[in-house]
Amino acid sequence: MIGFRNVTKQYAGAARPAVDNFSLEVYDGEITIFVGPSGCGKTTCMKMVNRLIEPSSGEILINGKDNKSLNETELRRGIGYAIQQIGLFPHRTIAENISTVPRLLKWDKKRMRDRADELLELVGLDPDTYRDRYPSELSGGQQQRVGVARALAADPPVMLMDEPFGAVDPIARHRLQQQFLDIQAKVRKTIIFVTHDIDEAILMGDRIAVLKEGGILAQYDKPEKLLTEPNSEFVANFVGADRAIKRLALTCVGDVQLEPVQGDGQQLPHVPEDENLRDVLAAMLAGGTDRVIVLSCEGEVRGTVSEQTLRSLFRAPAAERAASGAVQ
Amino acid sequence: MGDEPLIRWRWVRRNWSDEILPALGDHIVLCGISVLIALAISIPIGIAITRYRRAQTPVMFLTGLLYTIPSLSFFAILITFPGVKIGRTPAIIALVAYSLLVLIRNTVVGIDSVPRETIEAARGMGLTSSQILRQVELPLALPIIVAGIRIATVSAIGIATIAAYINAGGLGTLIFRGIDRDFPTQILIGAGLATLLSVLVDFGLLAVERWLRPWSRRAAARAA
Amino acid sequence: MAERILEIIQGPIFSRALAEHLRLSVAALVVAVLIALPLAALVSQSPLGSLLAINISNIGRAVPSLAILALALPFLGLGFRPALLALTLLAIPPILINAAIGLREVPSSVVESARGMGMSGLQILTRIRLPIAAPVIFAGLRTSAVQVVASATLATFIGGGGLGGLIVRGLQRNSPEFQLAGAIPVALLAMATELGFGGLQRALTPKGLRVGSRSRAA
Repeated sequence: MIGFRNVTKQYAGAARPAVDNFSLEVYDGEITIFVGPSGCGKTTCMKMVNRLIEPSSGEILINGKDNKSLNETELRRGIGYAIQQIGLFPHRTIAENISTVPRLLKWDKKRMRDRADELLELVGLDPDTYRDRYPSELSGGQQQRVGVARALAADPPVMLMDEPFGAVDPIARHRLQQQFLDIQAKVRKTIIFVTHDIDEAILMGDRIAVLKEGGILAQYDKPEKLLTEPNSEFVANFVGADRAIKRLALTCVGDVQLEPVQGDGQQLPHVPEDENLRDVLAAMLAGGTDRVIVLSCEGEVRGTVSEQTLRSLFRAPAAERAASGAVQ
Repeated sequence: MGDEPLIRWRWVRRNWSDEILPALGDHIVLCGISVLIALAISIPIGIAITRYRRAQTPVMFLTGLLYTIPSLSFFAILITFPGVKIGRTPAIIALVAYSLLVLIRNTVVGIDSVPRETIEAARGMGLTSSQILRQVELPLALPIIVAGIRIATVSAIGIATIAAYINAGGLGTLIFRGIDRDFPTQILIGAGLATLLSVLVDFGLLAVERWLRPWSRRAAARAA
Repeated sequence: MAERILEIIQGPIFSRALAEHLRLSVAALVVAVLIALPLAALVSQSPLGSLLAINISNIGRAVPSLAILALALPFLGLGFRPALLALTLLAIPPILINAAIGLREVPSSVVESARGMGMSGLQILTRIRLPIAAPVIFAGLRTSAVQVVASATLATFIGGGGLGGLIVRGLQRNSPEFQLAGAIPVALLAMATELGFGGLQRALTPKGLRVGSRSRAA
């Protein structure tokens, strides 16, 4: 749906381009992450989509059309935009902020009001409490939710998000990330999501583009592939020495083939089935055991999983993992 | 002066409607017209120099120099210009010139106080530059512009008293007549009303300023 | 006309008026500093005191300068001294406000660490708080100085002399030459005061404080 074709951005007077011959395909209904160290041009790449920055050469296709051929403001009104600093309008209430684009699109009042309430519900803020407040009356995390709601307001098929959860503390950020994934499961937007945090990239991304300094695309793959087969030392270093552990975080323990409980396993730690394997490993280490009991969401015992199983998954390349599961 | 009371209230009562009220009215009109004209000049200039930064330093320097010219001297220079006669015209020109500095400065400060991310978010959502100016920058700058209007009006009220010397009318007329006749009552009434007017305008516009900023007022109330 | 103006400026009437103007301005400013600075140091000891001083001064600034001069007349009569008193009263508020704010806003952590190192109250005032507050105090001084030079033009209305006398003489005799011989030098004097004090203010700001210390009483 969005295609970058040999996009280069060279600022006047700069020694090297900020973005260098960048090409990739962003797929419909997916979250595509642009990740990389600061100065890698990830934000520049994103801002060229809604023409906040114009490329020096190359083109960006949206549904097959070069975005330069589209009217600048209309293009932007059709693309949701959320940034780290949020940029809520301090002089407008929460509902008015959310209705910014609908108002530009001349929706009628009732439709705008209903939409604002609907979005507040969606991001987990009670409309009756929050719609008439001003941004300064909200916490940082609440403001970021409003920022996301505002970006979703006119139901744009495409969203650009630049570290939209960057300004909140880690615990709130984790909650916002999970919540956003739940929202995305319902709305299925095509999202370009910029972050410098590889953990966030792995958690949120359907596909991840790793950029390196000078705006060069180092690797573009699904998260698992990136973790198991980094194509260069740069990517391997960037995803981190702990990439094997990160990989564990991609799988839920419930998806692993479990072993039956043997004997009396009462003293073993319990984990819910939607826990990811990294947290399961943490539970084992904390409990000083090599095995944990997995419970279903209803709280019934489903089976156990051993440290050995985790080790075998650790080594297995991603492609095989799904197939072999945890066959002993 | 001797036994003479400081204020002869009988004189005040006798001249209230014929001399005092008209002088007060003239004063308000003189200052009001001047500040309004200054505003009409300052806001476009202020907006323009947030767009063309290079013009900012010379504009602020020039208006700063205008601001330092002593008022009596300013009036005296103006009436030597061809076509400018003694009366309201030179007074208004000078009062407008004095107001430019603070009004332009506050317009610039007001627009500059809008957070960069707010502008960027607005641009990203597809607001045009003129929509950003009208819907985001000016509303957010308005309280600071009003603060400028407050300072400009208060100082205009003070300076306008001197304009009475070049026949511009207003409360200064009472002060100068009082000096000429060595009649303290008239001086005190003129000076007192001018002071009172300044203080009232100061408080009134301060209230307007707060009223224009519901977003920060409510946040403060909630924090308290 | 230019020649006639130059002639007046070279004459004795002008030099006497200029001398009066300068004497009046400098004297008023000096007296104002001598009153306002100790008062600011005193009130800055208590938050209530400085709040009170700042607010009273602000109301004082709402009184038109002509009103202050004219009001000196019924109490003190005509002449130099009433004019000096009125100008001093005009000069105090900006200095007092800025000094009180400047002293109050010295970070309490700085004062506390000075106390912790064993400085006395007076030492803290003279060695820590005054130097840190100096740029703000000087900004107030600059505002005062410009205002005093400008308002000294009005001293002539209560017989205090100064360059305003030439302007008034010109207006009364309908002589643009006299008007301008008074008006232009006064305007230049005021601008020179503004620019001169501005330069001094920059020069006197301690190096470590030069960034972001542009506050000036509006």
